[in-house]
Amino acid sequence: MSQEGWARRQSRPSIALLVASTIALLAASLPLFYLFRRAIDAEISEISLILFRSKTLEILATTLGLTAAVTALSTLIGLALAWTLFNIDLPFRSALQALVILPVAIPSYVFTYSWISLIPGFKGLWAALFVLVLATTPYITLTTLAALRRSDWSTYEVAQTLGLNGLQIFVRVTWPQIKNSVAAGSLLSALYVLSDFGAISLLGVDTLTRAIENIYRGSFDRSSASILALILVAISALVIRLEERSRQRLHIIKSSNRIIKRAKTNDKLKVKLIALFGIGSYLALGLAIPLFQLLSIFLANSTSINYSLLFKASISTLIAACLGALIALTLALPVGVLSAQGSRLGRVSDKAILIVHALPGIVMGLALVSFGSSIPWLYQSLLLLSFAYALLFMAKAVGSVRSSVDRVPKNLIEISATLGLPKSATFRRVVIPLATPGLLSGTLLVLLAAMKELPATLMLKPIGFETLATQMWSYSSIFRFNEAAPYALLLVLIAAIPTFLINRPDEGDGIGGDQI
Amino acid sequence: MALKRLRFITLALALSLGASLLTGCASQKSESLVIYSGRSESFISPFLNQFTALTGAKLDVRYGDSAALAAQLLEEGTNSPADLFISQDAGALGAISEAGLFAQLDQQVLDRVEDKYRSSRSDWVGITGRARVFAYSPERVKNLPNSIDQLTLPIYRSKIGIAPTNSSFQAFITALIQSRGEAAAANWLEKLKANDVKLYEKNSQIVAAIDAGEIDLGLVNHYYLWEVSKALGREIAVANGFFAPGDTGNMINVAGAGILKTATNSQVSLDLLTYLLNDEVQREFVKATYEYSLVLTDAYPVGLPPLREIPSPRVDLSLLANLSKTQALLIKVGLI
Repeated sequence: MSQEGWARRQSRPSIALLVASTIALLAASLPLFYLFRRAIDAEISEISLILFRSKTLEILATTLGLTAAVTALSTLIGLALAWTLFNIDLPFRSALQALVILPVAIPSYVFTYSWISLIPGFKGLWAALFVLVLATTPYITLTTLAALRRSDWSTYEVAQTLGLNGLQIFVRVTWPQIKNSVAAGSLLSALYVLSDFGAISLLGVDTLTRAIENIYRGSFDRSSASILALILVAISALVIRLEERSRQRLHIIKSSNRIIKRAKTNDKLKVKLIALFGIGSYLALGLAIPLFQLLSIFLANSTSINYSLLFKASISTLIAACLGALIALTLALPVGVLSAQGSRLGRVSDKAILIVHALPGIVMGLALVSFGSSIPWLYQSLLLLSFAYALLFMAKAVGSVRSSVDRVPKNLIEISATLGLPKSATFRRVVIPLATPGLLSGTLLVLLAAMKELPATLMLKPIGFETLATQMWSYSSIFRFNEAAPYALLLVLIAAIPTFLINRPDEGDGIGGDQI
Repeated sequence: MALKRLRFITLALALSLGASLLTGCASQKSESLVIYSGRSESFISPFLNQFTALTGAKLDVRYGDSAALAAQLLEEGTNSPADLFISQDAGALGAISEAGLFAQLDQQVLDRVEDKYRSSRSDWVGITGRARVFAYSPERVKNLPNSIDQLTLPIYRSKIGIAPTNSSFQAFITALIQSRGEAAAANWLEKLKANDVKLYEKNSQIVAAIDAGEIDLGLVNHYYLWEVSKALGREIAVANGFFAPGDTGNMINVAGAGILKTATNSQVSLDLLTYLLNDEVQREFVKATYEYSLVLTDAYPVGLPPLREIPSPRVDLSLLANLSKTQALLIKVGLI
């Protein structure tokens, strides 16, 4: 069954892929190596004190419970949003498709703060669930939309002809085709919750990440913090294993321009209204209300905006984040391809990249400080900062790459071979174009995450290099959310540009991105 | 079309790579002082700019959270590019001192402040002081507490806010353990918790919550009143209060600085420290940051008593470098 895809047919991966993937694996191992080295320094008594206190159990339960609940809810909502946006012919559909991704561009502490300032007493586990579901839903929406766009709709037509109803078609035709991508998005959502500090700290929820941060703050005890971080690594390994088990190999026979045609859309007014209401509610809670709240905080005590600083920070943010996204794509592409081919190196690298994605920013930052500070020309350079972004966020791209490459149909590869094209040309001219929607959405996620990254940026940026996130922090850390607000708003505005570019459907058929 | 877009984006990324490498190289080399500052840019940069204007020394400042910067310095060890570390609290300075990363300071600089406001190893010095207070709503709190013990009384039930993960609260608990012993401190915390104390992440959130009417009273540092009022752009209905003389609830913590052993420019670093501790700058500090001068007896925030008159307990600030015992206690009680 697994022989259907292009990937499975490649008996021997190319040297270039192996080398690139090895580099990615080494990069992802850096923080793990760092944690082991620090954890070894810990005294046995210290370790047992941390591990065998009742509070640790409570923290573990909170971490696991919150992660599971957020992931389940955001998966449901993200799936519903993506399906609705893809299938129902709504006005301004392409704009809506981009807008539902944007909540991911708001840093979680800013997002959370805006809700706290709106609702006094907004805190605790329920508040965290609310905030994190809104914040992580775009991961599922984006990956699902990408999967829907490259689905083979000829089967859909067949199903319709056979008289299946909407639900049956979804369960028997759509779901098998998008399942892997949905799972990849859910995984990102879970890893996000595990590593989040901004929201959970403001809302007073005790997860492992907050416990790690507290140890750093209170006792500067890096070895105890490392032990907790290794527990976090173990949890993320478990989550990744779960996702992997849910994955299924696909049977894709064909998918070409001629056949791809989105099924007739459901045009009933009532259905449209319900759909618009649902999407509108999500956008209101996840985007409009927080942004409006920020704006009103700014207007309530507006200060003069330093436009040159704002402009410089925007450019710096774009440069560093784009560079990070480029490195991430360069590393994630070979890993994703190899992983799809079933190569052991690819699978191991794939997992390592995902595992470290659950680590809090401060741990990643310190790992790179530990490794980078001995190399003066590299330390606190833009290159290292971008590399940190790649390392932190390439997990967001690797799943998309893997699943996109995995579903390139074999008949096209065969045709390419029949025409006498060498493997590399086939890769470049057939595989990459077909996988492009997935690659783009993965890269977009890296870009958006890098633009708002804070803890590692503060440690690794060149001195004087201010991003929108660092500027925002320098005001919000002294409670001046009014002065931070313009930076937060601009961050979302800038993030909107690549989001709209990548989500813009091609004219006419509204199924952008999947034409060869 | 999608492919074209991918190509376009790749091209844009490649261009930005080229541009950034150029700017990256340009910013690499310089012979200036590198400062890691846990004090925020808004507060400290006017003084640093003045110093540059006076001396011509170029100052490169990396701003960050004091604790995170301390962790970073510990991680960098002898490879650190930093000359000077300015911290928001004594704990972070103590951690660097304990790791042996600070160089000895000139006695003249140290002697600018009382010995209780500087390192016992003579390797860091306090610059400004911050007092623990109780912030309260004058409208709703008629019976002011005169001891932290009264906070466990039923009249304050559900009305008090604390920030147990915040290092300034943990510093206060450390002082409490020091003065009363661990069992008594635990007992107080348990009673406070039983009195349905409200938990916040930050001091500023507590002050804002009092202003918003969520709670009536909170344990914070004195300057948050001013900070929150400035952030909101209006007067707030919150006041500062002190407990009876000697109560641990009135302890004084410091923001300070030390010169790292890795400093390539220790003379300029020392000049900067001297500058920050001179009379005129100290006076401006008080005006600009609402904190206490550790040098001048007559420079203190408007509306508060002078530093010497604050009935504060004697606390060994070097204890604040390791709060793990305090954290263990807070964990045991279930507050963090």
